[in-house]
Amino acid sequence: MKGVVFVELLAMAESLIGEEAVDDVLDSVELASGGAYSSVGNYPCSELMTLVDAFSRHTGHSPTFLQIAFGKWIFGTFAKGYTEFFEGKADAFSMLDSIEGEVHVEVRKLYPEVELPTFTTRRIDGQTFEMVYISERPLVDFCQGMIEACLEHFDEEATISKTETRTEDGFGAVFQIRSASQLAA
Amino acid sequence: MKTPTLSEQVSRRRYEREKKARQEAEKLLDDKSRALWEANQKLTSQADALERTVTKRTAELNKAMQAAQASNQAKSIFLASMSHEIRTPLNGVLGMAEALSETDLSCEQAEMAATIVESGGILLSVLNDILDVSKIEAGQMEIENIPFDLSALFAATKQLYALKAAEKNLIFDIHLSPAAQTWITGDPVRLRQVAGNLISNAIKFTANGQVLVDVDLVQADQGLKLIVRVTDSGTGISKHKLDDLFQPFNQLDPSVNREYGGTGLGLAISRQICNLMNGDIRVESEFGTGSVFTATFSVAPAKTVETALPQTDQHSQEILASQKWRILVAEDNRTNQLVLSKQLKDFDLDLTFVGNGQLAVDSALEGEYDMILMDINMPHMGGVDATINIRHHETCLGRAAIPIIALTANSMTHQITGYLASGMNGHLSKPLKKAILLRTLADTLQPTTPKKAPETKGQRGL
Repeated sequence: MKGVVFVELLAMAESLIGEEAVDDVLDSVELASGGAYSSVGNYPCSELMTLVDAFSRHTGHSPTFLQIAFGKWIFGTFAKGYTEFFEGKADAFSMLDSIEGEVHVEVRKLYPEVELPTFTTRRIDGQTFEMVYISERPLVDFCQGMIEACLEHFDEEATISKTETRTEDGFGAVFQIRSASQLAA
Repeated sequence: MKTPTLSEQVSRRRYEREKKARQEAEKLLDDKSRALWEANQKLTSQADALERTVTKRTAELNKAMQAAQASNQAKSIFLASMSHEIRTPLNGVLGMAEALSETDLSCEQAEMAATIVESGGILLSVLNDILDVSKIEAGQMEIENIPFDLSALFAATKQLYALKAAEKNLIFDIHLSPAAQTWITGDPVRLRQVAGNLISNAIKFTANGQVLVDVDLVQADQGLKLIVRVTDSGTGISKHKLDDLFQPFNQLDPSVNREYGGTGLGLAISRQICNLMNGDIRVESEFGTGSVFTATFSVAPAKTVETALPQTDQHSQEILASQKWRILVAEDNRTNQLVLSKQLKDFDLDLTFVGNGQLAVDSALEGEYDMILMDINMPHMGGVDATINIRHHETCLGRAAIPIIALTANSMTHQITGYLASGMNGHLSKPLKKAILLRTLADTLQPTTPKKAPETKGQRGL
């Protein structure tokens, strides 16, 4: 997993609980990397899960809560750093629709070896949008956080229903997003 | 959760972590840089290899192109020499057969001699067709631009085909519109060839009725457009066969060849010739009711040239019989010498034969001759060099130029231009037709006034 995810997780944690507490948490767990992350490095996904669990114990928040918060945090970073992906996107659905076909295409150009989750999307009716997430990693909640942040980014209100699926290959979920307002065609 | 405040001091463990992360990042950067450098080296060497391959391939292509050009050149040379090699013996066959026809023969013998003449004539026309196709394919078909009289050309054409039409009881006429009764600039030999091909086809495939030719000259975007329309009341051609009509070696069906003969090259050649003159041949036909072939040519206007009428055959014979003309003939081939003697045997002429160009020069300077017939390809010295030599001596000695007519089986336009440039006055194409030989000799020996240039273009001898 790309180091930028770890760097961002620690940045979020520091903003919430401070450097001292983050350092304490890092010291409290066994990590092959020793907790020294650079955004250009690659680290095992298991370290991310270990860290989320450790922060959960430290803060008392559930891992689900923390993953959702982290999904929102990362979306914010993404929206600030990569505005070009948002150009021409009228609403949250259009943005989510473009992840597989536009964002991931660009990611693969820079990192050919990268393992990315898949997103299949479809519009069910004028107000409902479905997104199927499949990944080797248990990051369904993280994904939900990003979807929520995306809706907030476009200042839209919607209800999200999530049905988790487990496959032999990994993890997945079907998100049904029902907008409070009429969808643009 | 309240936002934590940041302390001024950073702990040792935090510092160590950051340092470790930085070192890892630096190592990663180092590895990436090395990988990038190596990839770049690989690309550079690939580019070099590509460049070398391109250079090599270009050289190979150039070599292949030169080889192709050389082989094309060889083909052209082969064709030119084939032309010569086949025409020379054919000259012997045709000349001797014609001479034989004029001797005392039994009916059976006369018929045999006539068959030899006719078969030889067909062989010659096939040879001409194949040479034309080869020339067109090699891009060497040359189109002349000389002024000539359309009326005279079609009068001669009419005379040529009237007999064949009469033999089949066909009505045959050539009608020139008032605009077409004039001089134009173009290639009379090729025009005669195309018109002749269309007319002879029409006569060949018309069992009864008529073959009518209309000739018109109209203004076009550039210069003039000559239109020759041949209308017949023959068998006609069904629609689906019209497309194949202009393909080389393609006749309507194999039975046509058995019934009517021919190589199937005529129309293909004619269309190509029209194309070379920015024209075309179109055909409209309905099976059973006849065909209309329309040939067009781009031509230029020409001033009417003051010229004497060509000698008539009767007049030619009178001129040749009027005195003992002294004619020097430079010709190395014994058969050709014999053919010429036979063709001129009715006249009391002083014929002197020499076998090469050097002897021709010596004889021309020592003796008194009225004209010289000069073969082109001879041992020791060819006809062109001999002519240059003779003209040079004449200039030095202040003597009048003796008329020199080239005798040759080579009939490429640029070659004939070369002969004229060397100082020759005209050109006779082998195999020699007796009538044309007599007329050319008469024209040269006793030109009518105003002076008419001798024949400057090869007759196809058809």
